[in-house]
Amino acid sequence: MSGPYIVEMHNITKTFPGVVALDSVDFRLKAGQVMALLGENGAGKSTLVKILSGVYSRDSGSIRIFGKDIEGNLTPREAQQMGVAIIHQELNMCSHLTVAQNIFLGRELRKGSLLDNRTMERKTQTILDSLGIDLDPNTLVGDLAVSKQQMVEIAKALEANAKILIMDEPTSALTSVEITQLFSLIRGLKQQGVGIIYISHRLDELQYIVDAVTIMRDGRFIVEQQFSDITMSQIIGHMVGHEIKEKYPRVQVEKGKAVLTVTGLSAAPNVHDVSLTVHEGEILGIAGLMGAGRTETTRAIFGADPKQSGTIEILGHEAKIKRPRDAIKAGLVLAPEDRKKDGLCTKLSVRENIALPNLDKLVNSFGVVNRKKEREMVDQVIKDLQVRLASPEMNASSLSGGNQQKVVVGKWLARDSKVVIFDEPTRGIDVAAKVEIFQLMNKLKEQGIAVLFISSEMTEVLGFADRIIVMCDGRITGTLMQGEATQEKILELATRFEDKLNGNKGIETL
Amino acid sequence: MKESMNKSSFGRVLSIRGMAQVFTVTIGLIILCIVFGIMNPAFFSARNVANLLRQIAPILLIGIGQSYVLITGNIDLSIGSVVGMSTMISATMMTKGTNPWLAVFFTIFTCLLVGLSNGLLVSFAKLPPFIATLGTMTIARGIAQIANNNYNTDSIGEAAQGFRNFFYYGKTLGFYNTIWIAIVLWVIFNFILTRTRSGRHIYAIGSNVEAARLSGVSIVSTTTKAYLVSSFVSSIVGLVTTATSGMGTMDAGNGYELYAVAASVIGGVSTLGGQGLLFGTVIGASIWGVLQNGLQFAGAPVAIRNIVIGVIVVVSVLLDVIVRSGKASKLRLSSHRQVNTVTVGE
Amino acid sequence: MKKSVVVLLVLVLATALFAQGAKEAAGMKIYLITMDQMDQHWVNVDKGAQKAVSELGGITYKWLAPDVKDDAKQIECINNAVAGGANAILLAANGPNAVTAALKEAQEAGVTIVYVDSAANFPAVQTLATDNTAAGATAGKELLNALKGSGVNAGTIGIISVNSATASTVAREAGFRKAFEGTGFTLLETQYCDGDAARSKDMSANFITQGVVGLFGANEGSTVGVGNAIAEAGRAVIGVGFDKSDMILSLIKSGHLLATMAQNPDVMGYEGIKSAYKALKGEKVSPDYYDTGVSVLTKADL
Repeated sequence: MSGPYIVEMHNITKTFPGVVALDSVDFRLKAGQVMALLGENGAGKSTLVKILSGVYSRDSGSIRIFGKDIEGNLTPREAQQMGVAIIHQELNMCSHLTVAQNIFLGRELRKGSLLDNRTMERKTQTILDSLGIDLDPNTLVGDLAVSKQQMVEIAKALEANAKILIMDEPTSALTSVEITQLFSLIRGLKQQGVGIIYISHRLDELQYIVDAVTIMRDGRFIVEQQFSDITMSQIIGHMVGHEIKEKYPRVQVEKGKAVLTVTGLSAAPNVHDVSLTVHEGEILGIAGLMGAGRTETTRAIFGADPKQSGTIEILGHEAKIKRPRDAIKAGLVLAPEDRKKDGLCTKLSVRENIALPNLDKLVNSFGVVNRKKEREMVDQVIKDLQVRLASPEMNASSLSGGNQQKVVVGKWLARDSKVVIFDEPTRGIDVAAKVEIFQLMNKLKEQGIAVLFISSEMTEVLGFADRIIVMCDGRITGTLMQGEATQEKILELATRFEDKLNGNKGIETL
Repeated sequence: MKESMNKSSFGRVLSIRGMAQVFTVTIGLIILCIVFGIMNPAFFSARNVANLLRQIAPILLIGIGQSYVLITGNIDLSIGSVVGMSTMISATMMTKGTNPWLAVFFTIFTCLLVGLSNGLLVSFAKLPPFIATLGTMTIARGIAQIANNNYNTDSIGEAAQGFRNFFYYGKTLGFYNTIWIAIVLWVIFNFILTRTRSGRHIYAIGSNVEAARLSGVSIVSTTTKAYLVSSFVSSIVGLVTTATSGMGTMDAGNGYELYAVAASVIGGVSTLGGQGLLFGTVIGASIWGVLQNGLQFAGAPVAIRNIVIGVIVVVSVLLDVIVRSGKASKLRLSSHRQVNTVTVGE
Repeated sequence: MKKSVVVLLVLVLATALFAQGAKEAAGMKIYLITMDQMDQHWVNVDKGAQKAVSELGGITYKWLAPDVKDDAKQIECINNAVAGGANAILLAANGPNAVTAALKEAQEAGVTIVYVDSAANFPAVQTLATDNTAAGATAGKELLNALKGSGVNAGTIGIISVNSATASTVAREAGFRKAFEGTGFTLLETQYCDGDAARSKDMSANFITQGVVGLFGANEGSTVGVGNAIAEAGRAVIGVGFDKSDMILSLIKSGHLLATMAQNPDVMGYEGIKSAYKALKGEKVSPDYYDTGVSVLTKADL
């Protein structure tokens, strides 16, 4: 189904002060082709596409777009006019404006000097229909779910006649149903001859949509191949530079006594009568669709959200948890879903982030922080978790996703936590860092700390958890042991919605 | 299924973002008027209504300017000083014999320069708007003081009677000219805000400046336009002040920027940007004017008046914040539903 | 290159200042410190002072004031004067208590203190001021007589003042209210306009709508507003006010204001310098309180 080459980049080199971001990189894209651009964080993918879209200028190398040689530097405007568009990972929509207004932002159509709203609405409806997106052009973008916002972004790019679409982590915030929708939309685009550069860490999805892969590592081009001609472990091997034998390093630890027992937890609006237990030496995975209430459950346990009923017992003693402070004191900690927003103070240094919940251990009776103790604590955490950074004084936001996650968790490890809850710990993190996070969880497990983790990647839950509970609609619908769990069983439990007509509730509590 | 077609027309109006708060404050305004009228029937006399409308007009004008700037996500603290600068420059020129209309033209021009500076300082030099306009506020006040060598001016004289009538004392079709000026300017600026590209861009950069930038909107140009509007209306209010007093006072306009924020916020303009209807600013300015006027009629001591106004402003901002966080939780709930999330605006 | 130019400029400036200082060392240094430098009132105090300075000779004279009426800023001025080597200061205190600490330090540095217009709660050689309370009463009497003269013996009266803190206007209002005690007139709640003539006009117009028969403005800005409102209303409301300015005089001429209490700031400055001079020469100064009074300006006087 692919056509001629629409993008040909050859020998692209780009340096920033002190860093060679790209070193003689080649990249090609055909019309109607989905080309996955793979590589660990820092491999240079984003620099490469920014050069293509005119945000950066190349130091050397040639670029040809639709057969036309690009002399000199490409401005973002020119790139746009040539048909290049990026759908960013962080959506860029004006939430106070409608779908139609966002789609035409910056290119508003006018009748004379007045806005021609009617034509813009009409054209918006046309493009939405052609993409099979069921939306009213007059909906306020701020009222839309993230997945719908993403579709609006795609519609916007296409309305502006994009023929080269760069999608950065398009599926990370979507449910599996929404991903299916997105993929069928992409297939439709392929038919129309649009070329798509697909950047993603979710390697398991590639098989459903990708035609070819280009792999980069450390700013260099490694290989370009048809997807059908390469295996997953080869892909990972190229990305990492060595073979990763085990994607999900499990360790066997004897199961001990119950560490965390939750009974009858209910928290409006989305958690109904949840009960679960986690034992020493056990990793509990929580699976389910987005919106099943998993995050809400863990937040209620942690005290971040108010609960209407339920008791929490840690090591046999009841813990009265009304707010996070109570949970932390009882030894129960949470690494939240949105690490940048809820897990880190992005304007503060790594050191300050690690010290923040541990200040009670670092201050003297006047409240003055003991610098030496702080430094020791921070160094220990960095060492234990192998956080890669230039110095602890760096801004937390400048770390890569994996290292950020380590800091988020690391700050809890400095205090004797008994229960650690991870919410989507590996989202947006590259393969090698993922393994390190899993190894961290294993270490906790070996120390007798109860570990819960929420993941929307079914393979991850299947591969790594000792026991899996599945939630749907705010209830636990089933529990599966490691050996007996399959993707089908999990999916079945995850979609067991409350049958309102028959009053049949598919609940199975532990 | 296009759900918006199913709403009644009242529902459709309400669903325009921000209309619900405008509706609420309009009810509040009506209640206030009734209360003040009961406390002192002179409140409803023809004379007072005419005066009241004329007292509201300047607040509405500066409210328009501040609303424009607030919607872009910025703030303009120099409004009061520009009023002072405008009244001093115009009055000084007129006392020295300059033709009043020439003085008007020159005054507006110099005040627009302040707006231009504000726009460039904020969008080009990337100074935080609070700091930038604090700076121009001081500079403009200084200009107001040196305009007539550090004195208040003399009387602008008989030659300026036409000017005084145009801006303040004269009536057209039974209403004071000041009100007409405010209404006409409101219509024009509302039109620009809702029906032109520039207006759309003003909302966009307040909503998400990064998204706007990536979509090719000129941040510098749009921000500057908003500040120019603000300085323009401030200069008009300064001219009205000169016409009212018949002289220029260096202290004129002190504190007006905050009244302008109050009028905007009460009317539903969000201090976080991207949202607000100029129609709301009309109600906000009216509430402000009614309070000042009515509380005087009620014989309330000034301290009470300040407290009342302060409480109303705080409540309005609280309303803004509460409604926004209400929206956030609505979004979480609906994110997993496969139904189109077309919710009615607040 | 730039740096050395700056250094050179600073040196030149410093030398110039030094030279000035050397010249001044001989005579008497008297500083005038007022509440601000904008009001024509203070300008006239300065004028009167300068007149005395040129008559007496041998005095080095300087006028300092903050840009706005502010206690802290005035304290700075006092400190600057002392540091600048003042032998005496003529002070119009912004607030009676705020500056006392600074004055104590000044006195300990050997500075003679004379109050003009507004005194502070601290002993000084002399206070030359308008007895604001008496002046306010005078204004009240003028209004009362005029009302009685036109056959009005009862009704409401509106008062526009500056704010609730400035001692002079507070005293004037108090005097005014006292003059109406025991009469058939009711004085309404005072409205504050911060000296803004336009706001005063709006407030006066509201009073007129409420049916007042008389209005009082406690300072220049307030009075201008009162006059403009009466001019517009065309009703038989009688207005009196304070201070003398071009606008107020024209409002009196056109009959929209009955009278204004013109202070005699020039007398304050003139006599103030003379008293300071006497004190520096070691002579006794009396009386302790010199009422510079007000002149009642009506249409007849213009």
